[in-house]
Amino acid sequence: MEPITQAVTPAQGTTRRRLLAAALTVPLLLGAAACGGDDAGGDSGKTELSIFWWGAEKRAELTDQALALYSQKHPDVTFKKTWQGNQGYFDKLATLTAGGNPPDLFQIDDNYISEYAGRGVTLDLTEYTGNGKLDVSKFPESLLKYGEVDGKLAGVALGENTQGLVYDKTLLTKNKLPEPKTGMSWEEFVDWAANVTKVSKLPGTQDASAVYQALWVYLRQNGKDLYAGKQLGFDEADITKWFALWKGARDKGATPTPDVIHEGNASDVSKQLVATGKAGTSWVWANQMPELKKSTDNELGLIAYPGDPSAQWARASMYMSAFRGGKHKDVAVDVINFLANDPEAGKILGTDRGLPPNLDVRKQVAATVEDPNMKQTIAVMDELGKKYGPTAPTVPPQGHSKVRSELIRVAEEVIYSRQTPEQGAAAFVTAAKAAIGAS
Amino acid sequence: MTAPTLTPAPVAPAAPQPGRRVRRRQENLAGYVFLSPWLLGLLGITAIPMLISLYLSFTDYSPLIPLTEANWIGLENYRRMFTADQSYWHAVQVTITFALVAVPLKLASALAVALLLNRTMRGISVFRGLFYLPSLLGGSVALAIVWVSMFNRDGAFNSFLAIFGIEGLPWVNDPDWALSTLILLAVWQFGAPMVIFLAGLKQVPVELYEAASVDGASPWRKFVHITLPMLSPVIFFNLVLETINGFQGFTSAFVLSNGTGGPVDSTLMYSLNLYIAGFVDLNMGYASAMAWVFLLVIGAITVLLFNTGRFWVHYSDNEER
Repeated sequence: MEPITQAVTPAQGTTRRRLLAAALTVPLLLGAAACGGDDAGGDSGKTELSIFWWGAEKRAELTDQALALYSQKHPDVTFKKTWQGNQGYFDKLATLTAGGNPPDLFQIDDNYISEYAGRGVTLDLTEYTGNGKLDVSKFPESLLKYGEVDGKLAGVALGENTQGLVYDKTLLTKNKLPEPKTGMSWEEFVDWAANVTKVSKLPGTQDASAVYQALWVYLRQNGKDLYAGKQLGFDEADITKWFALWKGARDKGATPTPDVIHEGNASDVSKQLVATGKAGTSWVWANQMPELKKSTDNELGLIAYPGDPSAQWARASMYMSAFRGGKHKDVAVDVINFLANDPEAGKILGTDRGLPPNLDVRKQVAATVEDPNMKQTIAVMDELGKKYGPTAPTVPPQGHSKVRSELIRVAEEVIYSRQTPEQGAAAFVTAAKAAIGAS
Repeated sequence: MTAPTLTPAPVAPAAPQPGRRVRRRQENLAGYVFLSPWLLGLLGITAIPMLISLYLSFTDYSPLIPLTEANWIGLENYRRMFTADQSYWHAVQVTITFALVAVPLKLASALAVALLLNRTMRGISVFRGLFYLPSLLGGSVALAIVWVSMFNRDGAFNSFLAIFGIEGLPWVNDPDWALSTLILLAVWQFGAPMVIFLAGLKQVPVELYEAASVDGASPWRKFVHITLPMLSPVIFFNLVLETINGFQGFTSAFVLSNGTGGPVDSTLMYSLNLYIAGFVDLNMGYASAMAWVFLLVIGAITVLLFNTGRFWVHYSDNEER
């Protein structure tokens, strides 16, 4: 109330300037009062860290428990937790960052990590791995590397996953159809799916032409890659072949109609066609299996994408990164260390974000996990892990998320028959080059 | 809203001061004090951010970096927009199509319903309320979600068609039809212009109609020669407002396409494209440039409407003077 009385008294011998100043200060001070309270809590020895992640309710539950365990061990640390679904997560994170107050800790994935690291938002964790504050000694080498952007460790993987083809087991058994097998060629797979459509009257597979990680595996099987450093790792001919492969699949009736394919191309896990019962197979990441299972009563199977499975790799499904401008960076790093390496935390988190990054924790979780879907995921990923080739891709460059949305746009042009595979390939290469700023 | 109720207290005791001129001045100043919440809002929330965005439109600013680190790149954003960005021109085309179809249809249905409701009848206010209801839900996300599920392949609309043995299309997921469902949604929300039309209709002097009846004019002639001219200022007002609204369509397109403008960019409205550039592709400098071009174009269209208005808008009070 003080600013108000101050504004009144000088008015006795009024000068215009003084009153004007008063007029300006009153609302300002009121505004400031409303914004105050940010610094409260700093003096009592308590540290509050803000943490932000995307995911479903289950993940929130598990993360809550793990963070509560941390607070229990470090009573002076509390968390301000925010989470939401995948859609809109990165818009919000960008807005928070633009406003100058990104969370101390945030979940991020390979779509955006280069954007954030390249612009200096993320804390470089390299020095913390050197001084022992962040233990990465039990991490698989390639998984750790996948968090490096321009030689700096921008994020610590909180889970490992790989491409997974999920199929509706119940549907196949009911129609006495054979199950797909890891290692079958793309052509064999398309024929298998066409047969499923014919017998079961349900489209055998989602069209994968817009699914970037499927294209990525396909390219690697053909000696190419999605990226070569900050350039594209493929050319028009590769994409033409890819689009033509799927055009063939659509012509054979292996896939649903374009509008249903479009529905399945939404980023939401729950919209995957195998979960909504609109197709027999969906192209996902292996750790999403339990999440998919929640949307359907049918039994689901999990294998590698078609073609040579050695083209797949251990990908960091998501990272935890710390804000470079955060107030309590050491504590933030300690929390990351805890989430990644603590055996108890690992037990709580399970495989919700993918296989635990710490191999010891992973072994322990594999031995004790009870959820049958998580069990299945672990078994399949273990099996696939033995087949990975010697080289894994590095983390995608800036513009990767744009490349993904351009692939969906162009692939759908071809799916809706508005462009031929050749036209689509040319359009996609042009758009992808522009997206990553390549020549 | 606490500021305006708090500020009067200090000013009131300051008022009874000697000297008339001083007093007059003080009253002016008191006016400014009362005005200050709004003024600060205008400066802080509208004017200054607008100027900053004008500056940003000449930079490569990304929301992930501090404002001060944005690099000046001159007209590059504008060059890219006009010469290199196909999706930009596609969005322009989608937006113009939307506005050209949705605005006239919306105004026509608003006027038609207003004419129907402009009568004295038991329970007429209930009807007015019901017709106004959709616009209360306005740009709401919930409404767009319902719309999408209605016009899905297995939505209510197709079930309705099935009664007549017609097999429907996946309207919202069909690139040829998705925009039409958005247009339909916009047209359906005709309540706001309808209410304004209703008010305008009430202002038309009854004597004119009576005189016309005496002369034996048909209802159609009355409509064309009395209602339309007398209503033209209201039509003009609605036209300007709805045109601006039409160009700015965002929510329904965002919801229908999950924020992508799909299927295959068929619902990529200008505002949505701008949003994607700024918040998804993190290219806020470019998005700012788009916003400024948008502002100038909408401004130009409004000026154009005002200029053509001279030829067809009839202000009765001009003649009375």
